[in-house]
Amino acid sequence: MARNLLRVVILVVVMIPTALYALDHDNLDPNRPIAIEDAYVIPKGEIGIEGGVTFHDRKEGKSRFGFQPQIIYGAFENMQLEIMTGFLTEPTTVVGDDKSGDLSVGLLYNLNTETINLPAFAVRAEVGFPTGVHSKGVDTELTGVMTRSFGRWRTHVNVGYTFLGSPQGQERSGTYRVVAAVSYPLGYPTSFRDTIIANVFTRQSDLVGQRNPTGVGVGLRHQVSSRVVVDAGLGTEFIGPSDRSVIFSTVGLSIGF
Amino acid sequence: MMAIVAMAAVALTLAACSQFEQRDKRFYYRALWNFALREQLKELDIEFNGVDFGHSNLYENLLLSGGKDVEAIETRARKETLEFIAARPTLNPNEEAIAPTYMKLAWKAQNTFDEAHALHRATYDIYVSDLKDKRKALERVLSFYRASDYAITSKQLDHRRLDTLPYSKAFRRKFPLFNATIWAYHYLQVVVYDALAAAPDLSTKQKAVEPILSTYHAYLDKPPVEWTFMPMTGELSPKFAEEYPEIANIFDNLHMMHDSISDILSSELFQSWEDKRNEIYRITHNYYWASADATNPYIVPDGQPHHEGPAAEKSQHSGH
Repeated sequence: MARNLLRVVILVVVMIPTALYALDHDNLDPNRPIAIEDAYVIPKGEIGIEGGVTFHDRKEGKSRFGFQPQIIYGAFENMQLEIMTGFLTEPTTVVGDDKSGDLSVGLLYNLNTETINLPAFAVRAEVGFPTGVHSKGVDTELTGVMTRSFGRWRTHVNVGYTFLGSPQGQERSGTYRVVAAVSYPLGYPTSFRDTIIANVFTRQSDLVGQRNPTGVGVGLRHQVSSRVVVDAGLGTEFIGPSDRSVIFSTVGLSIGF
Repeated sequence: MMAIVAMAAVALTLAACSQFEQRDKRFYYRALWNFALREQLKELDIEFNGVDFGHSNLYENLLLSGGKDVEAIETRARKETLEFIAARPTLNPNEEAIAPTYMKLAWKAQNTFDEAHALHRATYDIYVSDLKDKRKALERVLSFYRASDYAITSKQLDHRRLDTLPYSKAFRRKFPLFNATIWAYHYLQVVVYDALAAAPDLSTKQKAVEPILSTYHAYLDKPPVEWTFMPMTGELSPKFAEEYPEIANIFDNLHMMHDSISDILSSELFQSWEDKRNEIYRITHNYYWASADATNPYIVPDGQPHHEGPAAEKSQHSGH
């Protein structure tokens, strides 16, 4: 356990940029640093490059490191296109839709801005291609996103469903997931560089007959400069299958230009 | 799956709602000169970051206090703004965190400000950069700005007449200190153009803004309540206004729109937030957006002098 914590600390230190040049740190993207999407997209014309290193300390099985690079483009008004992949250690043991090396293309469309009476809504669609290790079939994911603010507190709900194109062995043909989160800008009224995020999630297990991985996470997004945001997150799956993540952590970087 | 369908159904019904608005955020004009001001003339950039806080903080407090609480505006909100400026912020603040309620009330107006503020920033960057052909760069950013649905008209508006709407001057009468503080921001935003243009290199530009920043901070310490009208670009940077009249008009119209919204949020003519929102959107659509140029009754016809006030009033802003 102590060795794993040391690995997390080393990862954080390695990932902190020195002099880079943001994506708006209040604009939340999945896994940067925890699993929640807000209803807003990046501005039309902006390009974002994001990436993060993940660490999962599993209850059973070897601990797993990962790297998740992503490119986001504000292609049209209120719509962003995304292209992403993920690489994991122990790739042959990965089950579910996100196999190590799978390439995914996504689209997030913000339907409306939040008003006094209406929350902000967005829809997200993602197609995952079987480019990864032991990956078969094209997977499809649909997610509904809602953001509602209360003063400076912002709340977010994501409800999604993934259809596996070609489930293998005991893999389910489809899985649902639900994530709820709150975010809050720290430092008001003299500083606007940090946003703290906390979530609670549950998702259907990748294999039939197992319990839903269910847990909580907390993360921080820090605006370093006009163009750069760094993030760090930590969480646990306290319910789920025997190989669930007792601790998961991530550190990442987002650059907008 | 049912939950997704339910959320989609909710989303689809939004179109029928009166408050359904799209966000329409647009990235700034990407160019080599981006952030030249932040990187090369930090002292001035820091002040503009403070200005960004001031407007949003004012609108949020006016809205939440109903535009009636003098203490809330003149003392508390103004003090918060001055504290933020004193914190010397090196990045511009997140305005949606400063004014979460106002942003939900009148997003279109805010997006109009955001686009115009981006034009402001782009022009400062170009003026500070070592670009040889600044005119061409300014024409590009102006063209990019004008392509937006949220662009403010580049025609001269008759501000004096716009200042005679039924609720006009409500803000400055109730909250003279904060109004003068806002006008001090507008002074800073437009006075720097000619000073920067006259300085041939970065070190002289840095020296050129020093007395301007001293004057600005003197205005923050002792707000110029004697001013009777907002500072105008042609008055404080006449060379800039002559060379780039369309950009100067946009900035003056932007600053007038700020005053108009302050008046609406302070006026007792609008009892509900919905009424305030409707009036903000009415004037934005009909009097400030470029898309209304063909029918806008406040556009000064070509060849006619811009609004003329007493000479004494006009000279008051140029005392630096």
